[in-house]
Amino acid sequence: MSLNVRTLDFWQIIVLALSILIFCPLIALILISFGDSEGLWGHLLETVLIRYVKTTLFLMVGVSFFSLLFGIISAWILTNYEFRFSKVLEVLMLLPLACPAYLVAYAYTDFFEYAGPVQGFIRDLMGWKTASDYVFPEIRSLGGAIFVLSSVLYPYIYLLSRTAFRETPNSYYEVAQLYNRNIFWSVSLPLARPAIVAGLALVCMEVVSDFGTVEYFALETLTLGIFNVWIGMNNINAAAQISTFTFIFILMLLLVEIRSRAGKRFNDTSSRQTNKKAKLITGIEAFFCIAGCLIPVSLGFFIPILILLSNALTSLNFHNYYEVTKIFTNTLIISSIGAFCIMGVSTIIACTAYLSGKKYLRTVANFSASGYAFPGTMLAIGILVFIGFVDRTLDLFSSTDSTFYLSGTIFMLIFAYIVKFQAVGYGAVLSGLTKTSPNLIWASRTLGMSFQKTISRITIPLIKKSIIAGGVLAFVDIMKELPITLLLRPFDFETLATFTYQFAHDELMGKASIPALLIILVGLIPVIFLNKILRTNV
Amino acid sequence: MNKFKILGLVLVLFLTSVNFLKSEELNIYSHRQPFLINPFLDEFTKKTGIATNVIYSTKGLAQRLRSEGKNSPADVVLTVDIGRLYIYQDMDLLSSIESKKLSKNIPLHLRSSDNTWFGLSKRARIIVTSKDRVKVGSIKRIEDLADPRWKGKICTRPGSHVYSRALMSSMIAAHGLENAEKWAGGLVSNLARRPQGNDRAQVKAIFEGQCDIAIINNYYFGKLKYSDKEDQRAWARSLNLVFPNQGENDRGAHVNISGGGVAKYSKNKHLAVKLLEFLTDEFAQKLYGEINFEYPVNPKVEATEELKSWGSFKEDKLPILTIAKLSRESQKIIDRVGW
Repeated sequence: MSLNVRTLDFWQIIVLALSILIFCPLIALILISFGDSEGLWGHLLETVLIRYVKTTLFLMVGVSFFSLLFGIISAWILTNYEFRFSKVLEVLMLLPLACPAYLVAYAYTDFFEYAGPVQGFIRDLMGWKTASDYVFPEIRSLGGAIFVLSSVLYPYIYLLSRTAFRETPNSYYEVAQLYNRNIFWSVSLPLARPAIVAGLALVCMEVVSDFGTVEYFALETLTLGIFNVWIGMNNINAAAQISTFTFIFILMLLLVEIRSRAGKRFNDTSSRQTNKKAKLITGIEAFFCIAGCLIPVSLGFFIPILILLSNALTSLNFHNYYEVTKIFTNTLIISSIGAFCIMGVSTIIACTAYLSGKKYLRTVANFSASGYAFPGTMLAIGILVFIGFVDRTLDLFSSTDSTFYLSGTIFMLIFAYIVKFQAVGYGAVLSGLTKTSPNLIWASRTLGMSFQKTISRITIPLIKKSIIAGGVLAFVDIMKELPITLLLRPFDFETLATFTYQFAHDELMGKASIPALLIILVGLIPVIFLNKILRTNV
Repeated sequence: MNKFKILGLVLVLFLTSVNFLKSEELNIYSHRQPFLINPFLDEFTKKTGIATNVIYSTKGLAQRLRSEGKNSPADVVLTVDIGRLYIYQDMDLLSSIESKKLSKNIPLHLRSSDNTWFGLSKRARIIVTSKDRVKVGSIKRIEDLADPRWKGKICTRPGSHVYSRALMSSMIAAHGLENAEKWAGGLVSNLARRPQGNDRAQVKAIFEGQCDIAIINNYYFGKLKYSDKEDQRAWARSLNLVFPNQGENDRGAHVNISGGGVAKYSKNKHLAVKLLEFLTDEFAQKLYGEINFEYPVNPKVEATEELKSWGSFKEDKLPILTIAKLSRESQKIIDRVGW
């Protein structure tokens, strides 16, 4: 027994060390925010801050609402009903994951603005001549941003809630039916809450840290404000203060949820683990189900893809295809390495923290997953400062000139990905763990297995699906990631996202479309693979 | 197991291949897109045999340079907008270099007095108007844009973009804080729509009839005129160009620069200077015009025929650094008037 305790101690130290390492860049940012803001807050409060906060809140609430609507309805339909195309739809629903939000925003702007095909068609149809003849909602607006962001972000909620719905034991539904209760409201939804909230947390953090879409739509959110203060007023301290403030706000939201969940249990201890069978439906019912699923996936995938395709077709001869192939491979490799590292780190952290039963360890682990809430560029600056510090420390201990520096290397970039996307991996592993009965662990420990062996033989096989699902999400996230890669990459290192950006930044949509389509194409492979894993029962 | 070994080997090769750089190469941190600067760099390599490596990012390169400190591999910084150049100077990230050639090729008001940064090309912020709806000669000055007669007629990009901020600074320099803010308020109340999009999008809005007047950087006009898309060429055809503030006693049109400097801890300073010199020589100065419709800084080099055909103009000779120094005040005004 004493041996077991010692191995647990060893893992605890590892987890502490990893978590602190991951948290260091955030500390660097917080330290920057202690710097002199040169009295800018007075000005900000008087002028723009309220507007920033309001816009950010509206955006968050709006996107949360529609992502929940899209995600939960489609997940519910696809777990409970079987109809023609339901198997295909299951895969299709995930496709928007492969689309970077800002590219979808570019595509929709082309499509919906005054000069675009939609308004053009309406004008032709009605015989209107100018903009003053009619009213059409503007795409570059708060509503437009809510529309674009929820169309691409709902799969986070769909993915996690579908897994949760599917794993809810049938016995619960039977009980609910005996008592004549609605099985959706009284069983499925409450039991899926940790999964749904994990998805929603990712959605909210994406929204708060989004820069590409809000910049393109000229929406004055806090993130846009951070850049105005930093670049416009040349004051990185005040910019770091705004991002820390936003960060604390997000953290508080998460804490509220975790608190309200405390003391509730979401796992099943009975041995009879049969899952509910999907009901076969046809006709009008099936039609509505198909529509319920097709609407979100069309908005987040098919329509933007078609727009990009039609853009790409007009400018096929602009790229050096050898170069594009190289960048394509580059992107695949860096995203795989990143995803692999993230899942390794988050599995170690989540399993140890969750199963050790130590409260402080869980808190530390939760903190290590908070990098997601910082805008990418700000996080990148935290990483630069931290790695710069590490390099200078290395300098002190070496007398030669040939010291190896981390700055500007691929290692720094991978570390940055871990800091940013730890939340994705950690969230996935954790939702797997909450669904696993701790009795299994205790049984294993009682039978004399070490902590380590219990984890590797019992826990990890049980949550394998969640780990792989998290890895796939992390892969896709890294592949789409722009601001961190842009700023931290080594010389002449391009990913599809950075390559696309140089054209998209100048609103050269024709040239940007081909690499943009490639990003989506690379994203499709893991996404389809992901669905296969989730289907087969492990 | 073999599979894992091979995979491991591939990973190690990948990780090491991107890390090690040779010392006879020049490392560039660039705020300009690769597709814009590569033609210059290719020519430079062809001429001198010096290879170049580039990191392109729109934001944060100054912070990267600063946190890398003495270990930084960067040799040259290339950027657009004086505001960004000033940030490098302000953070003490550039080295002061002595080059007769640079002093000769670049006029005094377009380079720093301590020889840390150098203007490499010029762009003018101009007014464009609809050919059909705005009479030629009815707008002559930037100040005219605040005139209530243009209510609901003007489109611009957001005020907090560097180009708008720089223009705002030039107004402060010309009229003082109070009057500049009055002007900005007038401009905002004349806007046809919420400020959005880049300069290209403003031209499109004129073509589509959403507004009649916009402020753009001159090179956007060239890019649209010679676009590979017919619809964009049509946008350009719908415009008249106005170089503002050309009156006899007026200050001239506001110009900004693209520029560069040598990184403070560059290990290849002499090569870095060579690149800057190359960029101010005739060949590169012409190329700026040909590739991106920008004006040469070198007084001995003439603008391209295309640029000349748009009309000659007088430029505001305000020391360009003033624009950068007023940046914060400009942003404050922009926040206050909600541009």
